[in-house]
Amino acid sequence: MITIALSKGRLAEKALDLLEAAGYDVSAGREESRKLILEDEKTGLRFIMAKPSDVPTYVEYGAADIGVVGKDTLLEEGRNLYEVIDLGFGACRMCVCGPVSLKGKLDQIPNKRVASKYPNITRAYFEGTKKESVEIIKLNGSVELAPLIGLSEVIVDIVESGRTLKENGLDVLEVVADISARVVVNRVSMKMKEAEILPMIDALRKQVAIRNAQKAAEGK
Amino acid sequence: MGNYRFHTPDGVIDILPQDASVKRKIESDLRELFSGYGYSEVETPGIEYYDVYSSENFVATEDLYKMTDMDGRIISLRYDGTIPVARLAATLMKDEKPPLRLSYIGNMYRFKKTGGGKLREFSQAGVELLGIQNSEADAEVIALGIQSVLQTGITDLQVSIGQVEFFKGLADEWGLSADDASELSTAIDQKDIVRIEKTAERLGLSEDAKEILDMISGKFGTYDVLDAFEAKVKNATSLSALKNLREILDVLSDYELLQYVSIDLGMLRSLDYYTGVIFKGFTYEVGFPILGGGRYDKVISTFGRDMSAVGFSLGINLILIALRRQDKLPEFVEVDAIVGYADGEGMRKAAFATAKELRAMGNKVVVDTEHRSEEELDAYAEEHGIDQVVFIEEEEDSEEDENT
Repeated sequence: MITIALSKGRLAEKALDLLEAAGYDVSAGREESRKLILEDEKTGLRFIMAKPSDVPTYVEYGAADIGVVGKDTLLEEGRNLYEVIDLGFGACRMCVCGPVSLKGKLDQIPNKRVASKYPNITRAYFEGTKKESVEIIKLNGSVELAPLIGLSEVIVDIVESGRTLKENGLDVLEVVADISARVVVNRVSMKMKEAEILPMIDALRKQVAIRNAQKAAEGK
Repeated sequence: MGNYRFHTPDGVIDILPQDASVKRKIESDLRELFSGYGYSEVETPGIEYYDVYSSENFVATEDLYKMTDMDGRIISLRYDGTIPVARLAATLMKDEKPPLRLSYIGNMYRFKKTGGGKLREFSQAGVELLGIQNSEADAEVIALGIQSVLQTGITDLQVSIGQVEFFKGLADEWGLSADDASELSTAIDQKDIVRIEKTAERLGLSEDAKEILDMISGKFGTYDVLDAFEAKVKNATSLSALKNLREILDVLSDYELLQYVSIDLGMLRSLDYYTGVIFKGFTYEVGFPILGGGRYDKVISTFGRDMSAVGFSLGINLILIALRRQDKLPEFVEVDAIVGYADGEGMRKAAFATAKELRAMGNKVVVDTEHRSEEELDAYAEEHGIDQVVFIEEEEDSEEDENT
């Protein structure tokens, strides 16, 4: 039995589509119900529907063998996992954002206050990459408010279209990381259930390659 | 703040009778196994000077439990078994001729995130083989590691063997800077194919190099893996790492343990610490390795003695979890027999003598301290699941009494 932890919502749907395209029977995972564990004895697949930020925890502790989760969550949680496939969907960027007037002047502000839902990513970026100490303010949503109302100078957040930013007079100042959905595998499961997991990874990689090629063709 | 007197701190646990009995059995079996291979047990202190661990960045200092002593020096709870043994080998045992075969069983303390079976206080058993730098020594330690796990009752064991010099040789051959090598090795260790490819692209690696990186992430097996890499790799360091692995497999095959191992050259952790073979052992139902080890030839020299070393440690608490979840815990019997006695001259003394005989045969024996009658004793044994009841009474007289 392979246990797959999915991030509840759109990401789960897309992950199931991909597994199906790769030749797996995922009807158990699609069952319309409030059940949190969806198991199919026949296919040997068990899906658990978890909050996205909990998926890396389930996989690291071995409660799930495989997980599908955004790179943002992986960076924030910092778990010790195999990160085997970039699924390509859910693509966006983790950015430092602030008032347009700060463009190119970010480094001139001393003792910055940075608001974010992602305190660990923020710390790693400013302390690790930029070698700079900042005050981090943890928020749980509508992070764009913080610089508007004077709670912080800048924010670190996910940017998809950038529309919310524009409408509030904010802009991307620096890019921290590219984000997309990833497949992660527990380090022990990879060894103990190699016979099931390796073929699944291969099949998924093939599907991703096909989709990327299609996208590239459409782009041209 | 609340009142904590009913609780144990995060990451530490009480171990109840059944687990304690299994744990002690495992520890004493391991002790016997280690000494049977000529490894002598040492006991190092539960506290060390902080410098022992911090000086050479052997461990992340955030993970050390720290205190100060009366003179203001920083001390730390024992983090692992290896570093104190290395200190010991270079100091108190510096005049002992190599090789040294040493073992330890003890509690370690790590101030880390807990969960999934990981604790902040946990028991490790391990061995260190010091002063021999060859494949036979590597293989002996791996073989002993495998046998240790099997000894605990775990039968599903998968040991992955890697060799950090293999990657170091490639990094040199490709002219990677320390930072680039570290970036690439982290990506390989996480099997993050996308990052491996991106990094390879950025570094402008050749097609040949990319093919090797592909093989590192995807090839597992035994001799077939080594054959494939030997045909592909050119630098001397990597080739000698492959030769080391081949020799280890040969020795393990003579130990008849080859079925438990596979080669994984993508295991690339603690590259500053390890200098040769590394290995990890896995079983079902626990999310972390239960066995880990490798060759660390540079550690003891930091304590002033030039001495090669290879060792492993075993996570006893994780093994207990695995045994329970795999339904392999032996049946736990608290008491095999209860001995009661009737009133009368010499009866208690006879009961003690009987109990002593039963204990000598390996039974767990309780002598009744509440003067139960034979019927009461039977009922008590029934209730507590005690198999055997012995009641001491004056034979002849009681027989006659009953008959009249």
